[in-house]
Amino acid sequence: MTVLEVMERANSRDTKLVIAFIKDAVMKIQSSTEENLKVDRQTITKNTRDYALPTDLISLKTVSILDTEDDGKYKRISRLAYDPLVTEDTSP
Amino acid sequence: MSFDTGKNYVYSHHGKTLRLWRFRRTPAKDVDTEGRTTTSGWHSFIYPDETIDSGLRIEYTAIEKPFVVEDPDENSSLTEPSSVSELSHINMNRMLSLAVVDYVKAQTAERDGNIQAKEYFMREFFNKLADNESNKNKAFVAQAVSPYAVK
Repeated sequence: MTVLEVMERANSRDTKLVIAFIKDAVMKIQSSTEENLKVDRQTITKNTRDYALPTDLISLKTVSILDTEDDGKYKRISRLAYDPLVTEDTSP
Repeated sequence: MSFDTGKNYVYSHHGKTLRLWRFRRTPAKDVDTEGRTTTSGWHSFIYPDETIDSGLRIEYTAIEKPFVVEDPDENSSLTEPSSVSELSHINMNRMLSLAVVDYVKAQTAERDGNIQAKEYFMREFFNKLADNESNKNKAFVAQAVSPYAVK
């Protein structure tokens, strides 16, 4: 469906406003459903705890870690229900 | 070498940062050099203790090519337009495109101060999202029959 068709169906003449609304709708759809999934891979560095989430992330689905001893399978890991006692280790 | 990663790692997230923790299991009665014992069953979290190339995999939803030049219902290879115009296509299937129309109608109604119409169109928007999701699950479920089942 083209932007023009959306404008005609919604009875609107403001192209820029309709395009902005369409972007909002796409964002809402991606937030509620899994229409377009992406995968980001990062190298885990020894003694480094923090990793950046993808900048275009809308909704986090799974986090997995590579198991090199099991034929290179990525295994899904769990989210911590609470913060650990150690907040920072200055000499990990 | 990473092993049993599904059980040995956990994560938490803080804003834009994902924190990885390695789960360290210690013996129930671990005696240190000064004769002290740890609490029975005590486990602790440590920082990742090894480097794993491409070891972290994050699966997420994102906006990718919201507008395309070609009609996504007729083409599989799609290109993003340099600038979005009235002739650009929404990169969604027909059902979700109709949901987008409802969303635009809802926002337009809100700008006009018609909250009742806005709520009606938002309900239509979410109905179409639900329809689109349930349309993917219309598959029959097969079940094996045991050899001694009464028929």
